[in-house]
Amino acid sequence: MSPIQGLRPEKLRELVLLILIALVLIVFSSVIENYLNARLFNRVSASVALMAVLAIGQTMVVLTRNIDLSVGSIVGFTAYFVGHQLSQYGDMHPMLAIFLAVGVGTLMGGINGILVAYCRIPSIIVTLGTMALYRTLLVEYSDAQTVLTVNLPRWLLDLPSLNLISFDRLHLRVLVVGMIVVVVLFQIVLKYTSFGRKLYAIGSNPEAAKMAGFANQRMVLTAFLLCGALAGLTGFMFLARFGNITVVAGIGFELKSVAAVVVGGVNIFGGSGSAFGAFLGAVLIDLLENSLIRWLQISEFWRDALLGLLILISVATDSVIMKRFQLYWARKQARSSPET
Amino acid sequence: MMKKFLAVAAAAMMVSSGILMAHTVAKKGMKADLVLMPKFLGILVFDQANQGAQEAHKELQNPGKLEFLGPTPENSVAGQIEILTTATTQGQDGIMISNNAGDQIAPAAKSARDKGMTVVTWDSPIPSAEGEQLFIAQVDFNETGTVMADMALNIMGDAGGDFAVLSASPDAANQNAWIAAMKEALKAPKYSALNLVDVVYGDDQSEKSYNQALALVDKYPKLKLIMAPTTVGIAASAKAMQDEGLCGQVKTSGLGLPAEMVSYTLNDCAPEFALWSFVDLGYLSYYATYLIATGQMEGIPGETFKAGRMGYYTVEKDPTRAEGLRVLMGPFTVYDKSNVEAASK
Repeated sequence: MSPIQGLRPEKLRELVLLILIALVLIVFSSVIENYLNARLFNRVSASVALMAVLAIGQTMVVLTRNIDLSVGSIVGFTAYFVGHQLSQYGDMHPMLAIFLAVGVGTLMGGINGILVAYCRIPSIIVTLGTMALYRTLLVEYSDAQTVLTVNLPRWLLDLPSLNLISFDRLHLRVLVVGMIVVVVLFQIVLKYTSFGRKLYAIGSNPEAAKMAGFANQRMVLTAFLLCGALAGLTGFMFLARFGNITVVAGIGFELKSVAAVVVGGVNIFGGSGSAFGAFLGAVLIDLLENSLIRWLQISEFWRDALLGLLILISVATDSVIMKRFQLYWARKQARSSPET
Repeated sequence: MMKKFLAVAAAAMMVSSGILMAHTVAKKGMKADLVLMPKFLGILVFDQANQGAQEAHKELQNPGKLEFLGPTPENSVAGQIEILTTATTQGQDGIMISNNAGDQIAPAAKSARDKGMTVVTWDSPIPSAEGEQLFIAQVDFNETGTVMADMALNIMGDAGGDFAVLSASPDAANQNAWIAAMKEALKAPKYSALNLVDVVYGDDQSEKSYNQALALVDKYPKLKLIMAPTTVGIAASAKAMQDEGLCGQVKTSGLGLPAEMVSYTLNDCAPEFALWSFVDLGYLSYYATYLIATGQMEGIPGETFKAGRMGYYTVEKDPTRAEGLRVLMGPFTVYDKSNVEAASK
């Protein structure tokens, strides 16, 4: 038996992503001078920290056959809201500030969840609505004022450049470590808890899950709550990293998070994917973006198009290969265990 | 003697252009329902423009309404066109637009004009000038180029070196015009040591601008300056350099708000930047729009009018566009350590 036959499709997907990331690194290091260095790691890790956390929230929702398009607005609103509070109450405890961000995010996610799970409105409609709603709330709340770095407490401004461990010029930032904790935590929850397995069950076959007695509605609501909570956490990280917060904060994050999730192998029709996969998807996209900017030969106007094309290719090739492999894997299983 | 000469020269100029006109001084209390439309809502500078417009609205005792209507940030382009179309249907008398939709807004502007509405742009014009009667230019777009080149020269010194531009979106009419003007200005021998290596776009979003600024530093190891002609871009770039401890190596400059830039100017991350008054811009835009909408002014080249506390302005052909008329406001204020704290209050 070759080693590849021992892999489950999800594992294979993650392996393919790792190979793709290595390929990107090799290709660009041959065309960009001074590419592979500690700086690249610092840049990409600091930037992925935000998107990976958001993508994992999105994963929760996508696993249940839903989508959350309001996460960008939640990030923007929490970043502004917490920033505004911190400008007024500078002595607020850091943990309280994080708690506040997560709390506001959870609340907003909860509104999405209730509308989707209990009012039975399609999630794309609900979250398209709340995307505009939360953004408008931010515009009203902000009263056209900017959250300014000068008014923020020192600890928050120092947070993005705070290193937990440094090897020479390679820095492992605190925000990055926070992101890794989130990835590991959710990987474990999805894989080893009954909650996680039920999420997959609901996504792959909602009818069957219902017959099996799963509380589908409550599960969907929980997925949205978690997604909102992680979007709130991302909002806090956003505030720490960018300091000056205006009403445009987080615009476009919803699509980037969906892109990371899809590239990361989470099935948009629910039921399969992993937190680690979504993380790898976020890394691949960020790495491509970062590298394309530095690639001299390419103009700004082509960069976005090329990025879109690369995402499309990666998803398309992957889905073709995966389909073949899944078919093969299913046949193999059927043959090896004829009694089931 | 000098005064007399100037008067004669001015008279000669007016005669030679074939138009002899008196200054229009606004008649107060005429009714015009007006709309002030920013690129989108929720940004400080646009709110300041609204303050200025409201001030002029009160001063002129216009019994009509002045509404401040803008799209939400994620819906700027489509939202602007929608608001313009709705204003036309509602029969508003005039609209002042800070255009974020490029030439896409021209058809809607033209149909507004057909319905007899006054269409004035401010801050950012309609590039083709189609459907627009007048553009209130905050500063001379060519002068912006020179001011940016001068700041670059001041910061980088005579030794010069590499610098890059971090702009807003690739289709922002005002930023593109300023960058083009700066490229033109850089041709002068005095700037020969300054080497513009790249122009990148942060779409006026903190996160994108921040990442683009860092990417520039990685891409050009000898980079000495990032010039950002946008208030979002300049603050994001300065923060990025500060976070990465790069302020000693790469400075930030451009167009910024004192309140957002004060800490970076004091710690030398952004030693010098420039801006104009958005309150005045709103005030002047209101005066011009009111005068045209109430039929006191036509909006043709050579017309001169008084804009309240700001004094006299003249309608002229816009030299920075192929078509179109403008009223030039100006001037720039350049901020550095000496004046930024006072201005940020």
